[in-house]
Amino acid sequence: MSEHAVAGTAERTGSPHKRAWHLAERPLVWLAPLTLLLLITYVYPAIDVIRYSFTDATLLNPEYAYTTDSYRALIRSPDLPGILWVTFVFVVASVVLQLVLGLLVAMVLNRGVKRRLPGVSVVRIIILSAWIVPGVAAGIVWQLMFNEASYGFLNAILRGVGVSPVAWLSDPDLALWSAVIANVWRGTAFSMLLLYAGLVVIPSSLYEAASVDGATALKQFWYITLPQLRPILLINTVLISIFTLNTFDLILPLTGGGPGRATEVLALYTYNTVFRNFDLSNGAVLAVILLLISIVFTLIYVRLLPREL
Amino acid sequence: MTTIGRTRLADIGTYLAYGVICFFFAGPLLWLISLSIRTSAEIYVSNINLWPEHPTLENYASALNNPLFPIYLWNGLKLAVGGAFGAMLFAAPAAYALSRFRLRHQQLTMIGLLAVQMISPLVIMVPLYRYMDRVGLTDSHVGAMMIYIAVAAPLFTWMLKGFLDGIPQSLEEAAMIDGCTRFGAFMRVVLPLSLPGLTSAFVLNAILGWSQFIIPFILISRPGLLPIAVGIFNFQGTYSQTSTQILAAASVISIVPAVVVFLVLQRFIVGALMGGAVKG
Amino acid sequence: MKKKFLSAFLAGTILTGLAAGAAAQQLVTTDRVGSPDAPNVLTMRANPTQSPNSPSAEQKATFEKVWQSFAEAHPDWQVQFEFFGQDIGSEHARLLEQARAGRAPDCVTVDSFQLALFIKNGVLQPLDDFFSQEEIDDLFPFIRDGITGSDGHIYAWWWGTDLRVLYRNTEIVADTPETWEELQNAALEAAESGVEGVLFNGGRWEGTTFDWLANFWAQGGSLVDEDGKPIFGEGENREKMLRAMDYFKGLVDSGAAPRRVATIKDYNDFNAAAIAGSAAMFFGGHWQHFQLQEAMPEEAFAKWDVSELPGPTAGERATGTGGWTVAAFTDDPAKVEMCANLMREVYMGPANEVIGDLPTRESLFAELPKFQDPYFDKLKDYLVNGRARPGVPIYPEISNQIQITMGEVLSGTKEPEAALDGAWNRVMEAYTKM
Repeated sequence: MSEHAVAGTAERTGSPHKRAWHLAERPLVWLAPLTLLLLITYVYPAIDVIRYSFTDATLLNPEYAYTTDSYRALIRSPDLPGILWVTFVFVVASVVLQLVLGLLVAMVLNRGVKRRLPGVSVVRIIILSAWIVPGVAAGIVWQLMFNEASYGFLNAILRGVGVSPVAWLSDPDLALWSAVIANVWRGTAFSMLLLYAGLVVIPSSLYEAASVDGATALKQFWYITLPQLRPILLINTVLISIFTLNTFDLILPLTGGGPGRATEVLALYTYNTVFRNFDLSNGAVLAVILLLISIVFTLIYVRLLPREL
Repeated sequence: MTTIGRTRLADIGTYLAYGVICFFFAGPLLWLISLSIRTSAEIYVSNINLWPEHPTLENYASALNNPLFPIYLWNGLKLAVGGAFGAMLFAAPAAYALSRFRLRHQQLTMIGLLAVQMISPLVIMVPLYRYMDRVGLTDSHVGAMMIYIAVAAPLFTWMLKGFLDGIPQSLEEAAMIDGCTRFGAFMRVVLPLSLPGLTSAFVLNAILGWSQFIIPFILISRPGLLPIAVGIFNFQGTYSQTSTQILAAASVISIVPAVVVFLVLQRFIVGALMGGAVKG
Repeated sequence: MKKKFLSAFLAGTILTGLAAGAAAQQLVTTDRVGSPDAPNVLTMRANPTQSPNSPSAEQKATFEKVWQSFAEAHPDWQVQFEFFGQDIGSEHARLLEQARAGRAPDCVTVDSFQLALFIKNGVLQPLDDFFSQEEIDDLFPFIRDGITGSDGHIYAWWWGTDLRVLYRNTEIVADTPETWEELQNAALEAAESGVEGVLFNGGRWEGTTFDWLANFWAQGGSLVDEDGKPIFGEGENREKMLRAMDYFKGLVDSGAAPRRVATIKDYNDFNAAAIAGSAAMFFGGHWQHFQLQEAMPEEAFAKWDVSELPGPTAGERATGTGGWTVAAFTDDPAKVEMCANLMREVYMGPANEVIGDLPTRESLFAELPKFQDPYFDKLKDYLVNGRARPGVPIYPEISNQIQITMGEVLSGTKEPEAALDGAWNRVMEAYTKM
C-alpha cells in the first residue's frame, strides 16, 4: 500500500528525479556494485580454479592440456581417505568444541553482565586477544606449550603435579587433538561473540514466565535458550565450519602436517600440493573439493534455516 | 535456601567458570608475553616460571627499532580499515535492497552471498595472483584492498541487513512523501539511523582484516607495503635463528592495536552482532 | 618494577621514532642500501639473515659495514630489499610464479636446493661474463655442478655452504662415535643416565630429509640418475634407503633417541636441549657451534665437541651440504651486472665472514681470516665427504615424501618397507606428470 502512495507522489510532482527514482526502485541497481565486485574478485578466479582442475597444469610448466587425469588420480590416491578423515575429525571436533565452549562462555559472560559482576570485561578481552593473535604466533606459542622437551610448558606442569609427560605432538593419534585444542583456543572467541549477541536479545520476560511456572535452570536452557538461539547457532556453525575447514596457518608452524600425515588436513594438503609439489592441477582439484564440501555445508544450513528469511 | 543465597552461590560458580576460562585463554597469552621478555638464553630453560630471572625489554626495543615494523603496523591498519570501509560502501546498498525490496529470489540471494563467503582465498590463490598480475594490481594496496573488501562485504551485508530490518520503514516513507528520492531517503534517513550497526560491522570486519594472512602473502612482496600479519614473519630467519623472543615481542605489539580498538568499541561490536547475525 | 618497565618501554618507543627520522639520510637501512636519490634501482629479495634486516643484532651490525662500502662504491645505485618468509618451499613457488609473469625482483638469494628449478625454467641470466674461469674452477666441484645449467653456462653464484655434524657432550659421551652402531650404543648408555641420548630432525620439514640423507649417501646411494629420474626406490638404492631408515628407527625403538624427534622441525630445539643440558648428542648444522657459544656459559660450552656424522662403517661417511646462492632474474644488462657486483662484493667472502657460512671457493676457505681456526679446519676435512641435494625439480617432492615416511616410521604407524614403497609410488606419479 505504502509503495503505491510513494509512487503516486513522484508521478504527480513529475520531478526531474523521475529517472533516478525509477532506477532506485530496482533492487538490482542496489545489489549491482556488490555483485560486480564479487564477480570480478571472487567468482572469476573460482571459475578459473575449476578450469585448472580439468588440466594437467603445474607451476613449472606454462603449457597445459585439458584432461580429467587429475580427478582420476585423486580418486585413486591412497592418501585421500586418510586426509579426509583427518580433516573430518579436525573440523567436527573443533566446531563442536567451539560451539559448546563458546556457548558456555557466552552464558557465564551474559550472567556476569546482567548481575553487573566486576571483571567481566577483562574475561572478554582475554578471549578476544586469543582470537587476534597472528596465526604464526599462535602456532609458535602452542608449539612451545606442547613441546615434549624439558621446557615444554604443559609437560612441565604435568611433571609438577607428578603426572607422567604426554606425547602431545609425536603420538600420531594425539597430535591431531593437540591441533584441535590450539584451534579451539583461537576460534572460540568468534563463536562466543555471535552467541553472546544472541543471548542478549532473548527477552527476559520468557525466563521470568518460566520461573513463575517453576521451570528449573536446565529446563529453561533447553526450552527457551536453545530454541531462541537456533538461527544464530546455525549461522555460527556454518561460519566456523568454513573457517576451520580452511585453516592451515596454525597447523603449519605447529606440526607441518606430521608426524607422517597425522595432522595434514585438506587445506594444508592443498597448500602443500601447490606450493611444495608445484602441482597446480591437483591443487585445483583439491580446491574444488574444498568448495564442494563448503557447498554441502551451505545446503544443510539452508535446509535447517527458518522459512521467514 | 533463600533466593539471595542461591544467587550468591551462582555468582561463585560464575567466577569459578571465569577462572577456568581465563586459565585456558590467558595461559598461552601470558606465556607469549613471558617469552617476549626473556633473553635468548632463558627461552629454553626448563622451569615454568612465567616471570624470567632476567626480564628484559630488549626484544621490544629490537622489534620497534626495526624501521620496517611501524610501517608493517601502519600498512596493517590501512588495509584493515580501508577494507572494512570499502566493504561498507558495497554492503550498505546491498543490505538495503535485501531488507526493503521484496526480491523474487530473496533467499537464494542471501545464500549466494553466504556461498561466496565460503570460497576461501586459499582456494583461489593461484588464479587470483595470475589475474591480479595481468591487470597490474600486485604489489599495490589498491589491489589487495579490493580483495579485502570482497572478503568482508558478504558478512558485512548479512550483519547490516539484519540491522536494517529493525529500522521501521515508515520513517523513510515519510521522507519520500516529502519529496525525497529513495536514494535520498537512504542517504539522509536510513544510513544515519543504522550508524550503530554500521560501526559495529565495520569494527568487526576491520579486526578480521587485521589478521588476514593469505591475501597479502600472495599479492604483496614489497616490505614497504606488507601488513603486520605477514611482515611478522621477517622477524624469524628463513632458517632458524634464535629469535623466538623477538618474534614473541613483535606478536605482542601486533595484537595491542586490535585489543585497544576492541576495548574502546566493544559495545558497538556486540551491538552489530545483535542487530545483524541474530536475525540473519 | 612496573613503572621502570613502562618508562623503559616509552623511552624505547620514542627512540625508535627518532631513529626512523634519522634513517632518511642513511645509506643503509633495513630495506635499502644506497642513497634514496640514486637514479638506478635494483630490487633484491633476500633471506633476512642475508640482508641488512638480519634478525641477529650482532650480525646485522657487522653486515652493515659491508653494505655501507657497497653503497659507497656504487653511488648511482640503490638496492631495494624484499624478504623471504620462513616457509621456504612456498616462497620459492611464489618466486617462480612471479618470474613467469616477469615480475620477479632483479636479484634474489635462492636456496641452493631450489636453484635447479629456476635454471630449468630459463628465468635466470647467465653470469659467465662476470666471473673468471679461475674463480669458477676454484669452486668445490659439487658447488660448480649446482650452478651450471645443461648448456654449460653458470646461472647463479653459490657463495656459502653449510654441513651437518654430530654434536656431543664429551662429559657424557667421551669417545667419538664413528659408526651407526657406536652412536646407538653411546646414546643408549647416555639415555640410561637420564638424558636424551641423541636428537635429530624428524618432523615435517626439509631438514628432516636433508640431515638423514647423509646416511643414505654414505652407503653410496643416489636419489636420482643422471637425467634427473628418481631411482631411490629400486634395487640397490632401495636397500640403502631401508638400511638408513632402519638405523633411525632403531635409535627411536631402542630408546637411544626419544620419541619426540618425530616432532622436531627446527635446529633451535637442539640448541635448547644442549643449553638445558638434557641431551647427550644431536645431529645439527655447523653454524650451531656459534649459537651455542653465544648462548651458553663458557664452561658448559667447553664440554661440547663436534665430529663427523657417523657412517655405517667408519670408512663410509657423508654429510649434507646446503647453502645459498644469488641469481639474477632481470633481463636489463646493467642490473644483471649490479647483481653480479653484489655477489662479488657482498656475498663472495664478506657475507661468509659475517654469517659463518663456509666459503665455496677453496682459496677463499684457505685465506679468509675467519675460517683459519681449528673448528673450521675440522670442517674443511668433513667437506670432502660433502654431498649436495640433487638439483632437480622433483627433489622437493622427494623430500616431502621422505619427511612423511620418516614420520610414519618413527611414530611406528608403518614399517619402513611399506612407508618407502608408498613414498616411491607418489614420487613417480608426480615425476611422470612433470
